[in-house]
Amino acid sequence: MSTAEPLIRLSGISKSFGSVCANRDVSLDIEEGKILALLGENGAGKSTLMSILAGQLQPDAGSIFLRGEKVVLDSTEKAIACGIGMVYQHFKLVRELTVTENIFLGTKGGFWLNWAKMQDEVTQLAEQYGMRIDPAAKVADLSMGERQQVEILKLLYRQSTVLIFDEPTAVLTPREAENLFLTMKKMISKGKGIVFISHKLEEVMAISDNIAILRRGSVVDTVATRDVASTAELAGRMVGREVLLEVDRVPVELRQVVLKVDNLNDELLKNINFELRQGEIFGLVGVAGNGQKNLIETVCGLRKPKTDCIKILGASWKKFFSKMRWDNALSYIPEDRQGLATCQGLDLVDNFLLTTRGGFTQGPWLLREEARNKASHLVEEFDIRPPNLDAFAWQLSGGNLQKMVLAREFYRRPRLIVAEQPTQGLDIAAAEDIWNLLLKAREAAGILLVTGDLSEALALSDRIGVMFNGRLVDCFSSDDEAKVAKIPQMMAGLVEESSSSRR
Amino acid sequence: MLHMRIAKRQEPLGLGGSCLVLFLALALSLVLSGILLFLGGTPPLEGLATLFYGAFGSRWALEDSVLKAIPIFLCSLGVAVAFRLKIWNIGAEGQFALGSIGATWVALSFPDWPSFILLPAMIGMAMLAGGVWGLIPAILRQKLRTNEIIVTLMMNYIGILVLDYLVYGVWKDPSSYGFPMTPEFSDNAIVGKIGSSSINWGLLHCVVLGTFIWGFFKFTRLGFELKVSGDNVAAARYAGLPYDRLVILVMVISGALAGWAGFLEASATVNRLQPSIIVGYGYTAIVVAWLARLNPLNIGIASILLAGLRVGVENLQLELQVPAAFGGILEGLILLTVLAGGLFTHYKIERRRME
Repeated sequence: MSTAEPLIRLSGISKSFGSVCANRDVSLDIEEGKILALLGENGAGKSTLMSILAGQLQPDAGSIFLRGEKVVLDSTEKAIACGIGMVYQHFKLVRELTVTENIFLGTKGGFWLNWAKMQDEVTQLAEQYGMRIDPAAKVADLSMGERQQVEILKLLYRQSTVLIFDEPTAVLTPREAENLFLTMKKMISKGKGIVFISHKLEEVMAISDNIAILRRGSVVDTVATRDVASTAELAGRMVGREVLLEVDRVPVELRQVVLKVDNLNDELLKNINFELRQGEIFGLVGVAGNGQKNLIETVCGLRKPKTDCIKILGASWKKFFSKMRWDNALSYIPEDRQGLATCQGLDLVDNFLLTTRGGFTQGPWLLREEARNKASHLVEEFDIRPPNLDAFAWQLSGGNLQKMVLAREFYRRPRLIVAEQPTQGLDIAAAEDIWNLLLKAREAAGILLVTGDLSEALALSDRIGVMFNGRLVDCFSSDDEAKVAKIPQMMAGLVEESSSSRR
Repeated sequence: MLHMRIAKRQEPLGLGGSCLVLFLALALSLVLSGILLFLGGTPPLEGLATLFYGAFGSRWALEDSVLKAIPIFLCSLGVAVAFRLKIWNIGAEGQFALGSIGATWVALSFPDWPSFILLPAMIGMAMLAGGVWGLIPAILRQKLRTNEIIVTLMMNYIGILVLDYLVYGVWKDPSSYGFPMTPEFSDNAIVGKIGSSSINWGLLHCVVLGTFIWGFFKFTRLGFELKVSGDNVAAARYAGLPYDRLVILVMVISGALAGWAGFLEASATVNRLQPSIIVGYGYTAIVVAWLARLNPLNIGIASILLAGLRVGVENLQLELQVPAAFGGILEGLILLTVLAGGLFTHYKIERRRME
């Protein structure tokens, strides 16, 4: 540890919400020119700690020192003035304004604006940190990666010295993530301090200088990254027990075809062909935006195919969705848990009934009491917290919400499961639970797994398909080492479509 | 600079707290209107007392308030159904007008039918006409992406003008000395009064329909599906709900209930169709629905409150020469303060810690 005072020192920070202790005696140093990775399971207290740093919450006890001087961050303005800036997971940008307008929004200045000068400033600032962005572009037209750059530029323009990134790579493509890391390196070389919150252990290992691990509100471990041998060790430190990232995949006998896609085309997809059988997991990998979304939405009935090219459980698309049963049919576990899979303003019983209502109907009546009993069993079985059926969906953390969705969807005993990024944003213990659930579920179902996480795809899938530019570039067994080695090239479109993709 | 900040509550405010906030909001609106009365040269306390006495202080006043609450309640029940789906139907006024027209057509065409057939036929026709008036904006919204607020508002004017056209023209009573009104309905087409009071049996209709709507949302699958669609359209589609059809359904129910109110007003209150039955109940219904947070029982209470306001203001005008517009101002103030008070159910104001 350097002898100089750290940029920010947190000392003995505690914060409780009612009887729940979110942070207990947390002490951390954020040092100049270093990247501190903050690791922890969902609900370990990372968000609370960051909200305290951002001036949104006040700690019950403990103090914050800025370069050795005690400060009280009692408002977000104060935190910004102290040079603390947050890059949130959900960007706080005005979509209808340009990049420059967003960056200068809320900054002090004269009455008259000199747009040309301001745009020059933005371009210069961006170049300093290795970012390329059109200052006159409208935010609505930008990719997620570019929007994140705007967020970062906002903070840099305000001369933030400590930048906090809350799962910044969750919304980025691998290439964009690499650019972000370059920008972060540039920032620390200019003496800024960075806090990096992520669930992706490889990223943490690759980019950080120090790692702090939070568990149940307390810092249980701080370690220099160079002293950590492997991601497995890191995972072990994080959950407090050794976690095997490799799950046990025992082959299951293949049964009938549950999904058959025969020459699916739309404005993005080109000639998609594949079959999915009961007993297998078909992992679809690829950089986001290469047609996975269209494919999933079509298979799950949210988007109508132009031709009659999809057969689900032996029925045509139209017939299947016009008289879909609530059980023994299709379960869709979408990436967007808050926006698509649940109703945030309704309680857990209502959310449980969302897709299972068919099983609790008698004439026009809904058997809510019966559903309540079932739901309370599931809450216990899946260890959903808080175990309170009257809680609203918005009160649940991301991991618990996902468990609720899974509990509900598995209760329907599906024969075809479409799981989209099922473990995104979850901690390792929760992800492992979900992987085992999926592996078990394939005994009775065929599973289409769409994921951006290659290790997840390889750990779970019996077969792998790679998507690029609307095409299914190749399909192969996940034991085919030669093909597996080539996946990155396929994802980047560097491999010609092989003839074996038609089966 | 105030050292305060607004923070989100971890748990929403309980029942007791909510009642306290509501009470304080109502008190604040009374204080503000008291100031207005004072500025207008009326002693505020006496003014408010006159208002209250005029609304609820005598048997006659109370009955009149309940009588006016009946159409407000039904219109409000209707708009609340649409509001649950976040469909902003502000067309209760027009749907009410169409309902009265539909009922009148049956009453004038078949005056000799026995009342046990005639009244249900009038109700059916009123619901049909009001429902169609709700159906049109719903279809336009789902098929052509029009804004239902604009369309329902515009259709109010059309509906009211259709009513005017009929009572000034083809349906005008030849013996009305030129007044725009239809002939009086036959006895069979009139909903009677309860006992010796001036309140009609429409009150019973309100109780039955209110209970029905409450049960519909609480116990039926369709009601649940509407609740889901109101909370999150994307989740509704995800769960395989026919969202377009649900929108159309709520607009038809909404229009049909306002139409029923139109039937009661024509049949029970004025016993004929005339332009004076259009007095803005459909707009007051929107205020009531919001005050009641779309809950049927609360809608009942709020209906009587705002109907009482209408009656009380007449008294205020008579005794203290306060302009009738004061009623509208008070209605607006109550809505504003109660909605503003709603902030406290999910947020709290904290004192900032000082350095």
